[in-house]
Amino acid sequence: MTGFSEQRAVAASAATAPPAARTRGLRKVYRGTVAVDNVDLEVPMGSVLGMLGPNGSGKTTTIRMLLGLVTPTAGEVELLGHKMPDGAALALPDVGALVEGPGFHPFLSGRENLMRFAAAEPLLATSAITTAVGEAIERVGLTKAANRRYRGYSLGMKQRLGLASALLVPRRFVVLDEPTNGLDPAGTREVRTVIADLHAAGTTVLVSSHLLAEVEATCTHVAVLNQGNVVAQGELAALLEAGSANLLVSTPETTLGLDALRERRIPARPVPDGLLVDLTASTAPAVVEVLVRAGVPVHEVRRQRTGLEDLFARLTEDSAVTELPDLDTLIPEEAR
Amino acid sequence: MNRKRTALAVAAAGTATGVVGLVLIASPAGANEPPPALPPISSEALVQSVLDSKVPALSGAVALQNNLGLPVPGLPQSSGKEAFARVYSDGTGRARLSLGQGTAGERTIVHDNGTTWFWNSADRSVVKYTGGAEHESVEDKLADPATASRTFIEAIKQDSVVTVDGTARVANRPVYQLVLTPKPTERTLLREVRVSVDEATRLPLQVEVLANGQSEPALKLGFTEFSTGAQDASLFSFTPPAGAKVTEPEVGDKPTEKQRDDLFAALDLKVVGEGWDTVLTGKIPAGALDQQIPQGQGRGGVDITSVLKQLGKPVSGPFGTGYAISTNVGTALVTTDGRVAVGAVPQQVLVDALGQK
Amino acid sequence: MTTTADLPATTTTSSRPRRAPLTRLLRSELRMVLRRPRTLIGLGLLGLVPVVIGIGIAIATSSSDGQPIGEGIAALVAGNGLLLPIFALVVALNMLLPLTGAMLAADALAGEASHGTLRGLLMAPVGRARLLAVKAFGVATVSLIAVTLMAVTGIITGTALLGGDGMLTSSGTSLSFVDGLGRVGLTVLLVTIQIWALAAIALAVSAYTEHPLIVVVVALGLVIVSGVLSVIPALDWLQPALITTSWESVADVIQDPLSWDPLVNGVLRAACYLVIGYSIALARTLTRDG
Repeated sequence: MTGFSEQRAVAASAATAPPAARTRGLRKVYRGTVAVDNVDLEVPMGSVLGMLGPNGSGKTTTIRMLLGLVTPTAGEVELLGHKMPDGAALALPDVGALVEGPGFHPFLSGRENLMRFAAAEPLLATSAITTAVGEAIERVGLTKAANRRYRGYSLGMKQRLGLASALLVPRRFVVLDEPTNGLDPAGTREVRTVIADLHAAGTTVLVSSHLLAEVEATCTHVAVLNQGNVVAQGELAALLEAGSANLLVSTPETTLGLDALRERRIPARPVPDGLLVDLTASTAPAVVEVLVRAGVPVHEVRRQRTGLEDLFARLTEDSAVTELPDLDTLIPEEAR
Repeated sequence: MNRKRTALAVAAAGTATGVVGLVLIASPAGANEPPPALPPISSEALVQSVLDSKVPALSGAVALQNNLGLPVPGLPQSSGKEAFARVYSDGTGRARLSLGQGTAGERTIVHDNGTTWFWNSADRSVVKYTGGAEHESVEDKLADPATASRTFIEAIKQDSVVTVDGTARVANRPVYQLVLTPKPTERTLLREVRVSVDEATRLPLQVEVLANGQSEPALKLGFTEFSTGAQDASLFSFTPPAGAKVTEPEVGDKPTEKQRDDLFAALDLKVVGEGWDTVLTGKIPAGALDQQIPQGQGRGGVDITSVLKQLGKPVSGPFGTGYAISTNVGTALVTTDGRVAVGAVPQQVLVDALGQK
Repeated sequence: MTTTADLPATTTTSSRPRRAPLTRLLRSELRMVLRRPRTLIGLGLLGLVPVVIGIGIAIATSSSDGQPIGEGIAALVAGNGLLLPIFALVVALNMLLPLTGAMLAADALAGEASHGTLRGLLMAPVGRARLLAVKAFGVATVSLIAVTLMAVTGIITGTALLGGDGMLTSSGTSLSFVDGLGRVGLTVLLVTIQIWALAAIALAVSAYTEHPLIVVVVALGLVIVSGVLSVIPALDWLQPALITTSWESVADVIQDPLSWDPLVNGVLRAACYLVIGYSIALARTLTRDG
């Protein structure tokens, strides 16, 4: 596909090009329940944006509003430069999407289902439909099952078919809502490859997920949603690196360890079950070496979670996170 | 939000259009038009012109609104909006009458120069009368409003106040409204009879019978469609379809004069009074009260006495005991010993009539 | 925007909406509806109705000794095969055909919404008004197919089993075979329009829910309530506005000469329901969350 240098170019142009999608003050209320509130999201052109958030955080609702499926209660949506939902006819032909799980007719085969959606694709010439469907099926690895009824598909096969329908025509923007749901590890890898290929071809991708690992593996940008709000947004690298220069050492001999480190002028402080070592002036191997030489028993050494990891872990592990007062301390200003 | 407003407008406009359409379909044509302006005419002249009128070549649909408050044999129970009969005439005495509709079965009567055909789709029977004998049932006569109201006017003129009450539209044609009101001395349940006379042909297009204390006509018989003009000649001939049972009653099949006289003697029919409060009295032949009324195939019969008990309320008086059946326009009294009195009158008048014996 | 220039034609941001050709959409819709097992079973059963009625009448005729085998049209069908399709359609118009129309409408929007396939079409994108038009076309065409199918099996069964030369009308006249076929065609047309009207209302309901069963229940409820209202004398004034009123007059096609008034009235009434149904369905489709 495309080379590394071109990827660079994509990243460089993203800074100046208008965003592929942008929302301003987006709000959606379903019968008195606020699903999404005051969301300002920006998907830079050419980026792969991971939308992270626990279930019910408003990811899907935001995506549905982006695609003009749902009319926002308040706020604005712009997709590929067109106001949604009124500009749907202009923007959507260039957008492929897999939203809320794949939707297909159970009594038709995978191929027939794709043929039906292909017939509705504005950018496909009638003569090109069969080829496009065949290619899409091949791309997601469904060739063997293509002529079987959708009714008999496994969850993974359904997901692949959904992906195929999003990739029926070359897109400028692809939205994938939980694309690896139900996929086995091999399938997950394939999806990552597809996303990487799209990115390499200059397509903007929006992937939603409740797994940080997935986002880390595929995305250039990330937006974290919680309870209908965007709580963090920015380039993945910046968010990951922010405030990550600490090493956690588990040891019963905290006093001995502290003394050894202070001798070498490495800042550290005791924490329950061990030490927290600042790595700004040192490296992890050096720290371990100092401790071991001083005869300090080291049970475990690990880097402290980064701001993003810590934020996301708290969001997903504790579903009742209602207040995030220390957000500013978690995510440094430059990353937001 | 803009889209929401558009959607709302679409829904409102479409629904309004549809509902207005339904209302238009539901409301009779010309109901809201002002009455047409016609040259004034005296009631005598109008009645005379009706009596002199000839039935031209025409076709029309007749509707009956039966608000009598009781099912009357021979009259369809109808809401009066849908036609129950269609009438065709070629203006020279040939005519076709079609009764009933597809779902319920249809009867067709064709008068064709002295031959009369009766077709009944329910049993696919054809009865053919030759010699131009009049064999019209009450129903057939009623279905031709022209004949019906002419008979009415003639009979009732002496006891009624006849006025012309403005104009109206019937079957989309301008009509004069001829109103017959009983003279105050008449003891009747009826308030007035309103005949709508077509301005052009002078045919009565509609008859309404209004009873005391009722705003809606108890009986309304009239054209819902009426147009004059030459009719397709094939309408006035009839060829029995293949497979139909054709019966041709011989003269011998008809009751002889003697038989008929005997029957009338047995019935002991008497007319008491005249005009609006005329009462017809008679006697039901012995045993008839216990007879079974056939109720169509496979459903068994019902004997007349139990029907009377169901419809009427028991009364007693100088005549003995019996059952009185009241409707909006008339009353019938059947005594247990088989005497009958019927009239468009209150019950007391019937009791008096029975007492006159 | 150097990178996007490498992409195929998709990058040309035209300000004119691009759309898939309508005929392609209609064909695809029809192919899908006609592949749906429920549709096929429904069509098959409807096609059998005239055959079953025909056999029943043939048996009843042979054992009735010339007595009429029923009331109204039924009395005329024996030995009058061309009347069988009309009789079957009039019978089916009471429940089976409205059920079919409601089912088609239910699957068209509510059913597709519940499968998530409506979303796929909206994202293609098929414009919302266009989507409704495509759906309406599918429902209308398959309704027409259902009614025509009944007429065809009715004609075949009737002529083969009951025989008859031409058509005997309820007015006692005989029509030639071709004229009889014309009456059957007229019946097909009138019945189809009535089903379209009911399906339009059902489609409006279908636009509001994701549960096809609700649509069928509401549509049949409308039919039943209309039927009940039409027999209450105090509500006589309401009768001309009821959807079922036209259904009764369809049987008038076997009169000779035809009286067009009730037939035309029935079509106009159906048109009113069509307008109401489709405008509500359109309004809802425009605003519905996909």
